Amino acid sequence: MEFCLFLGCNTPAVRPDVEKAIRASMDELGVDLVDADNYVCCPAFGSFPSTDEDSWLATSGWNLSIAEGKKRDILVQCGSCYSSLRMGREHIMHSDEKRQRVNELLEPTGRTVCGSSRVRHVSEVLYKEITPARIAEKVKISLEGLHGVVQYPCHTLYPSEVVGFEDSPREPKGMRQLVEALGATVDGYSRELQCCGGAGGFMKSTPEQAIEFAKTKFDAILEETKADFIAVSCITCLMHMENVQNTLNKRVGEERYKIPVFDYNQLLALCLGKEQKQVSAICNVSRDKVHQFIANAKVAA
Amino acid sequence: MNPQTEANKDLWKAIYNTGDLQHCFNCSTCISGCPASFGDPPLLVRNLARKVMYGLEEALFEDDTPWACVSCSRCEEMCPMDVKPFEMILHIRQWQASNDETRVPPSIVEIYKRGYTQAVGTNVETRQALGLDPLPIITNNPEQLAMFREMLMKTPVVAANDYMFGG
Ligand code: SF4
Ligand code: SF4
Repeated sequence: MEFCLFLGCNTPAVRPDVEKAIRASMDELGVDLVDADNYVCCPAFGSFPSTDEDSWLATSGWNLSIAEGKKRDILVQCGSCYSSLRMGREHIMHSDEKRQRVNELLEPTGRTVCGSSRVRHVSEVLYKEITPARIAEKVKISLEGLHGVVQYPCHTLYPSEVVGFEDSPREPKGMRQLVEALGATVDGYSRELQCCGGAGGFMKSTPEQAIEFAKTKFDAILEETKADFIAVSCITCLMHMENVQNTLNKRVGEERYKIPVFDYNQLLALCLGKEQKQVSAICNVSRDKVHQFIANAKVAA
Repeated sequence: MNPQTEANKDLWKAIYNTGDLQHCFNCSTCISGCPASFGDPPLLVRNLARKVMYGLEEALFEDDTPWACVSCSRCEEMCPMDVKPFEMILHIRQWQASNDETRVPPSIVEIYKRGYTQAVGTNVETRQALGLDPLPIITNNPEQLAMFREMLMKTPVVAANDYMFGG
């Protein structure tokens, strides 16, 4: 299996340990990754997609052309990158007029786009191609004894006919089965499908309300589950769900919200025996308890 | 909402010229579960669809709520009439930004200048400590970056606001 890796901006710039976890774990599972050289912003929905179609689709086309040149599908972790690239590709593929216009804009740069490379989310590849069963066989360290909850990246669920890969977008199972493959117990809860609320302008324009919105989710996790960790598969979910907990603690004046948040590939890499200082080095909510559990399991194994 | 002096019945054609919008029957499914509907003022997708359809140009022009959307696309999934409300939101933003330069997002200037909204590639030491190679980013490739910029120069937002992209 081989892909062209599209990292976006937040992962390599702010959370490069997630990048390391993706590279290390996918390599271990036999997935060959090459970098998307000279890639640019996906483009983020708040940028060119909010100004005009030419700049939006030309930028999508620029990125898609890199993978097409390598005859590989694109692999993405960031939810916004995934959705933006897929929507951009959808527009370019389904309108001759738009495809012509994008190629006209790309032409002086020596690039073309035809839609031959698909855009794949890392959780889809793990769930549908590699499969939880194979992952369970491969892992050296089991999380048995730990409880987790999962956060589905909205951008991989909706709109299902463009971005989806779950059998039912109303009842997604991928993240749950992937975490279960690591041996952990996944607790369901009432607000499992509620968006983290971290992307776009919501936090910027009305931070008070955005934090209240996120609080409802965390309260549900605390009241309804025994979660030792939250597994996400989107860089925005990861950063936002950590930051919000710290903000909430300041408000309530106690350390009430302290559930560590992991990108799934970080948990996977740790269970594959990868070095914690490399694949899970950066966090804003302490991961000590989970790291210690894994360190103990490593000694026992 | 300011009282509208005169409705512009063709507004929808300027903003979201698809048959999809005609099918909106005001059910509010797009509002239920929308994260930004919890904002203050709330983003109420149904109301935006009404404003577009009724041609309430002035009110829509001043409306900041489309920019609070988190792009989760839940409304796009749930709308029973396939209005594609998230696409409509992007089109409202495009219409506002192309008629009001103060709406042009500063992030596009960052992307024009260095390829990304974030300073990708400056955390050299952290990356080294994690055992990561330098990324082949466009910021370090002047030739490719120049071509990317030239391409963008031909697009409406950059051409119309070229003074923003000078530096
Ligand atoms: S869900 Fe669709 S049909 Fe219902 S109000 Fe929203 S846009 Fe209109
Ligand atoms: S895409 Fe935007 S408008 Fe639609 S539900 Fe999500 S935040 Fe609300």
